[in-house]
Amino acid sequence: MEQPYRKAVLNLYKSLLFLGREWPQGYDLFRKRLHKVFTKNSEETDPEKIKIMIKHGEFVAKEIEALYKLKKYRTMKRRYYDDSS
Amino acid sequence: MAAANLVRSALSGLLRKSVAYRTPVVCRLSTVALQQKFQTVKSYCNLHNDHILQNEVQCQRIRQYSGAQTKLSSQQIEERVMKVCKAYDKLSVSQLKVDSHFMTDLGLDSLDHVEVIMAMEDEFGFEIPDADAERLVRPRDIIQYIADKEDVFE
Repeated sequence: MEQPYRKAVLNLYKSLLFLGREWPQGYDLFRKRLHKVFTKNSEETDPEKIKIMIKHGEFVAKEIEALYKLKKYRTMKRRYYDDSS
Repeated sequence: MAAANLVRSALSGLLRKSVAYRTPVVCRLSTVALQQKFQTVKSYCNLHNDHILQNEVQCQRIRQYSGAQTKLSSQQIEERVMKVCKAYDKLSVSQLKVDSHFMTDLGLDSLDHVEVIMAMEDEFGFEIPDADAERLVRPRDIIQYIADKEDVFE
């Protein structure tokens, strides 16, 4: 059983889990959803497709990072400036 | 007359029905109220239990970061590893033993395994490389690995 992308996929899973720790709706929900998504595609054997999926996963990680930054920025803005102005 | 009788019988049927229905409805309402009460009591208990567990974890965290750290014994390592394993929601407590295999005996997939290893990293405060993590498929392996890392010998 040759799984050349096994390590990359597990690594991606781990880094996504790490990002999910501060998920606004709770870490548990994030963990369950991530697990579901990963198991859904676990039967894939075509290396090209797996490559694309890993790329997509990395993209999602970047999105989550951007989301956190946006959240932080908005919170700061709310605290420093009056909402009415 | 026949028509009136018919109407009366229909009405009485309705009446009887409504009376017959009323009691179960009342009963059901009371049971709902009872169950709700039970649920709230149960959730309070759960909350309380969670709180205790959290305190326990926090106590350990504090001890971890304090400068004068006593050396762990292998007994302590085993206790903490098993505690983390039990805290993971997909591992049922009844089957969990030191020598049970995560994938074949306990039915975890590789993703769950990654999660368990991450929980161990949190508990002991160091990172486990992927290459090493792949070999740690039993609680005993993890205990041995951590003992090696922390220079604990029997």
